Amino acid sequence: MKTFEFERDNRSGQRREIPHAFRPDLDRRNWRLVAVAFLLGIVAHVTTHPGLSETSPTPVSANGWKTAQPDFSWQFPRDHWAHDGYRTEWWYFTGHLESDSGRRFGYQFTVFKVGLVPGGDIDPSVQASEWHASGLWMGHASISDLDNGTHRFCEVLHREIPLLSGFGAYPDPRLAWARGPAGTADLWTLDWNGEAFDFQMADEGKGVRFDLKTRPRKPLVWQGPNGYSRKGSEPDAASLYYSFTRLETQGTLEIDGETFKVHGQSWMDKEFGSNQLTSGQVGWDWFSLQLDDGTELMLYSLRRADGTVDFARGTHIDADGTPTYLDSDDWSFQARREWKSPTSDIRYPLDWQIRLGSDRTLTVRPQRDNQENHALRTGQLSYWEGAVEVEENGKRVGVGYVELTGYGEGNRPPI
Amino acid sequence: MLRYFFLSLRTQFSRGRSLFVLSVLGVALGVASVVSIQVLNDNSLAAFRGGIRAISGDADLTVVGAGPAFSDSLYPTVLGTRGVELAIPLYQVAVSLADDPETYLEVVGVDLLAPTGLPVNPTSTPGDDDGFGAVSEALSVPGWVAVTPALAEDRGWSRGDTFVVSSGSRSVRLQVGALVDFQSYAPLASRYLAVMDISQAQALLGRPGKLQQIDVHLAEGVNPEDVRETLQDELGPMVRVTTPSSRTDDAANLLSAFRLNLTALSMISLFVGMFLIFSSTQASLVRRRREIGLLRSLGATRLQVLAWLIGEVAWLGLIGVAVGIPIGLFAATQNVEVVSATLTNIYLLSAIDSLRIPAQTYLLAAFVGIGGAVLGALFPAWDSTRKDPRALLSAFSVHEGTQGVAGRLALAGGILIGLALLATFFFRESWRYFGFAVGLVLLIALPMMTPVLVQAVSRITPAAGFNFSLAIRNLSARLQTTSISIASLAIAVSMMIGVTLLISSFRSTLATWVDDTIRADIYITTESWVRGGEDAFLTEDVLATLRGHGDVAAIETLRRLSLEIEGRPIWVGGVSLTLPDSLYSFPMREGNARAALESIRASDSCLISEPLSRKTKLGVGDSLQVRTPRGLERYPIVGVTYDYSSDGGTALVSEATMSRLFGEGPVQNVALFLAPETDPDEVIGELRAALPGVPLSYRSNRHIREEVFRIFDQTFAITRLLQGMALLVAACGISLTLLVVARERVAELALYRSLGALRRQIFGLFVGEGLGLALLGLVLGTVGGFALAGILVYIINPAFFGWTIRPDGSWAEWAQQCLTILAVAVLASLYPALKASRVPAQELTREDL
Repeated sequence: MKTFEFERDNRSGQRREIPHAFRPDLDRRNWRLVAVAFLLGIVAHVTTHPGLSETSPTPVSANGWKTAQPDFSWQFPRDHWAHDGYRTEWWYFTGHLESDSGRRFGYQFTVFKVGLVPGGDIDPSVQASEWHASGLWMGHASISDLDNGTHRFCEVLHREIPLLSGFGAYPDPRLAWARGPAGTADLWTLDWNGEAFDFQMADEGKGVRFDLKTRPRKPLVWQGPNGYSRKGSEPDAASLYYSFTRLETQGTLEIDGETFKVHGQSWMDKEFGSNQLTSGQVGWDWFSLQLDDGTELMLYSLRRADGTVDFARGTHIDADGTPTYLDSDDWSFQARREWKSPTSDIRYPLDWQIRLGSDRTLTVRPQRDNQENHALRTGQLSYWEGAVEVEENGKRVGVGYVELTGYGEGNRPPI
Repeated sequence: MLRYFFLSLRTQFSRGRSLFVLSVLGVALGVASVVSIQVLNDNSLAAFRGGIRAISGDADLTVVGAGPAFSDSLYPTVLGTRGVELAIPLYQVAVSLADDPETYLEVVGVDLLAPTGLPVNPTSTPGDDDGFGAVSEALSVPGWVAVTPALAEDRGWSRGDTFVVSSGSRSVRLQVGALVDFQSYAPLASRYLAVMDISQAQALLGRPGKLQQIDVHLAEGVNPEDVRETLQDELGPMVRVTTPSSRTDDAANLLSAFRLNLTALSMISLFVGMFLIFSSTQASLVRRRREIGLLRSLGATRLQVLAWLIGEVAWLGLIGVAVGIPIGLFAATQNVEVVSATLTNIYLLSAIDSLRIPAQTYLLAAFVGIGGAVLGALFPAWDSTRKDPRALLSAFSVHEGTQGVAGRLALAGGILIGLALLATFFFRESWRYFGFAVGLVLLIALPMMTPVLVQAVSRITPAAGFNFSLAIRNLSARLQTTSISIASLAIAVSMMIGVTLLISSFRSTLATWVDDTIRADIYITTESWVRGGEDAFLTEDVLATLRGHGDVAAIETLRRLSLEIEGRPIWVGGVSLTLPDSLYSFPMREGNARAALESIRASDSCLISEPLSRKTKLGVGDSLQVRTPRGLERYPIVGVTYDYSSDGGTALVSEATMSRLFGEGPVQNVALFLAPETDPDEVIGELRAALPGVPLSYRSNRHIREEVFRIFDQTFAITRLLQGMALLVAACGISLTLLVVARERVAELALYRSLGALRRQIFGLFVGEGLGLALLGLVLGTVGGFALAGILVYIINPAFFGWTIRPDGSWAEWAQQCLTILAVAVLASLYPALKASRVPAQELTREDL
């Protein structure tokens, strides 16, 4: 389970005070307020919108968005492409890369499709303008230079209009594209290459650019029966979720003008839905671990405001790709220390002990502490997304990525 | 000495209250006129700077269309240019409120989903679950718009209310989606600023696919000039990439004539105010010459006495400033509408919404008021401290100096005027501000002529008893005092007559031009036309209805584009030119009308207006350089027309040429020629019925003439205010002079009284003197006024506005003004006359005699 954005407790009607460090100052940065405004606006709109047409084949919630259903009828490769009518959809790549000279990197590349207007029903009178939009294209990318100890985060945020960004339609291999961040001429793209995905991004301002191609080493796996991944006890709190847990990756990576030929291994999640975080939940801890024995673990735990676990699930994937779905009884975890971000002052729990069943304990350690993403374009949302190593019985047994959202005030992802 | 200074200050006030009040009033009025004009001037530019800043903050660069709005396909190029940190696309359109068409909403369409500086304040929308709801509605609720709380309060709107606006011939219902105090983010932002999503602004109010502006913020450490050049190269000739300061400079340049005109007029009233101070200081010195003599005899040095006198005047100036600032600010608020209308009607700039008073205004007021007072007092004070203390202790020595130098003074004035005339031949064309310099020389030389005139008039006036002739002859006895008063009145009169002549000449020239050019029976445009620019267009179905009316014999359309030509934004009109030749009339300054018409019909040539010709120094045979989507192109000028519609200049091409240069586009104005014997008002009524709810403004031939003169009068309204102020100052001068004279002549008056003169005879004598002052002031002022009018029409106008104005004045108006001035003079004499008539015969016993 992954995401972005920031926190507001919309349903309770309570506004959370944004800590001072996050409060937009009153000049040019005020766009942050706008970003917060419209993202929260989505939710407000949701609560007031009369709903979509009743002829929609997929059940639609009272607020007008389609909801994830356990009997979703998957059609591949079509379902690698975007799905309309859901509030959120993402393609989430994380991985470990190594240059020919042996320099190690962790990376993240995510494309979000964010619905703003349920059903996309923009009034016909406004449709004459090409700027009319009912959704957003958001891209996040980061590079952790694991040897040099730097972490760079890049983002784009555009309205979904032909001038700025878009999502392709099957069978056009282009799944998604967007213009780069301001000051960057190149596009951010995500393509289907027949087996898996190719993607590229650039950010001139941050001095980062990569162009990666992937090939699956293990087949697609459902994260939940038929890809139906529950997020809470409420019936519609769920997403449709599948992964490629081992993607052989190669390509080029450029940092500050220095180009590296890189190769490595990635993990890809594709998830879409409209209610992945229920009203009592504030965020989640998510683990994707690739173990050296050829198996993988995906674990997520959704937290309440007081820090206790509200809902947890997981998937254990065999070396041959067979998934076993884990309940909250099957696993638990505990952080052993905290790290305070110098940027956001948020305290994140790091160094986790994960207990699997009754006889197995994994230790998950960040490869560096500061892998926090601070998304200026998205209302200053902060979350931790970082490369980790996995140890068992004192021995390194794999690598992975961990995502921590909803920490600190004002960081609840409004999804 | 310091103690004495304060003691004397108090005594001064208590003993000569009326003198003191008049002097203060003189300074105050001078200060007031400078302050009011300065505030209006500052705000006229500030209005231009304020609007967009609220939305995009302090941009480093701005991309604007060199001509019409540019294609939004250029936006990604800007966004992708290295060094750019933020690129904010903007679509601006002025729309008028349906229930109050004179009120415009400055709607700015912005990409609400992009990081702008837009302060959409969630907490301002009570009733919303989390306070933020509006922004996603901004995309989906048609007509969603954020307005200022101030406007909402004015109009009684609250969130969710709807209202109708017109943009061109379209009526659009908008909904108050959010209340946002833009002024708290950019203090100069107008309360009429409204923000909506760019998609809605384009689709509902403007034109899809177009942008008017992209504001660019640069990354830290990037050189703006480098990025500016790169952007300009990549974006091509149809846009201009500028820095905000150069845009403000452009606006300042555009307004320079207007602002200079106002400043010059305010300076004249200050000048008159200084005369008043001069004479009031003189008056106070006259009254206190014995005191000065005594002080000097007791050992006070000249410098001490001078410092004492100047210090006293500085206090007076300070009080004048304190009184003048509020009067000036009040005058500014009263006239802001007028100036605002001029800015928007004529200069295509933003209206002034609320006045901001820059801090330097107060400094300027203090400088002008105190400095002016001290300057005015310097000469008389210095003069009296130089005198032999003995002379100061005896009467009737004060005016000897003036009597002696009157001839030389007049000669010097004559030489000054001669030099100015001579310089006219050399510098008239080369120095833009020459006209103002000559005007100043005239205003300096005119007072220098006064003593000689007074002497001459009293010399030729026969002595004929205790009546008006005595009053006139008396004027030369107090030459210095009366000369100053006459001079200040003369200056005020010069200004009145000069400006009146300018206005009447201009008006009659305009009337001729209007008669020549307004040929159609009905002119149709949209309600938002004045401010809406290109977006205030007529839709095709509206045009079809107009064409389809049975009584419409012919129709002429005009498409207007604001283009940058020779570095200045001007309106270029594209005319359909489908009518018979006889229906067109171009009053030509250069070129032949028929040939020019043929030429612009047949080729990509153009007519330009006289102001444009003068400003660019282009004429028939030259060509106009225009930025088009194909790059810079040159079009031959086949005629220069008299045109009074804009001092910025206009150009005219055929509609076909315009379409070739800039692509097809909608028209903004239509002229209907009706079948013979058709009543235009009836047709207007029928068209209204055929186009219900379409926000068009119909003007019959007669109506449009009235409209032209309404705008004309509005433009000059501010000038009338200044004239009035100068006259008021001059009237104060008359009162003051007569008070001084009365005081000086206490003994003489007492003698008259003891010899049997009646109070009413003395009263009459003083009113006669006031009348005499006024008459002499009028004579001098009329001469000066004609000279000033000549300077305004022949030197200042061509340099700044570029119109041909045929001199024309109405004697009736002049006579009316003279009568007004005489009446004011008589009124101003009443109080001093009353005071003089009350001098008791016992005053004769005083040693003054």
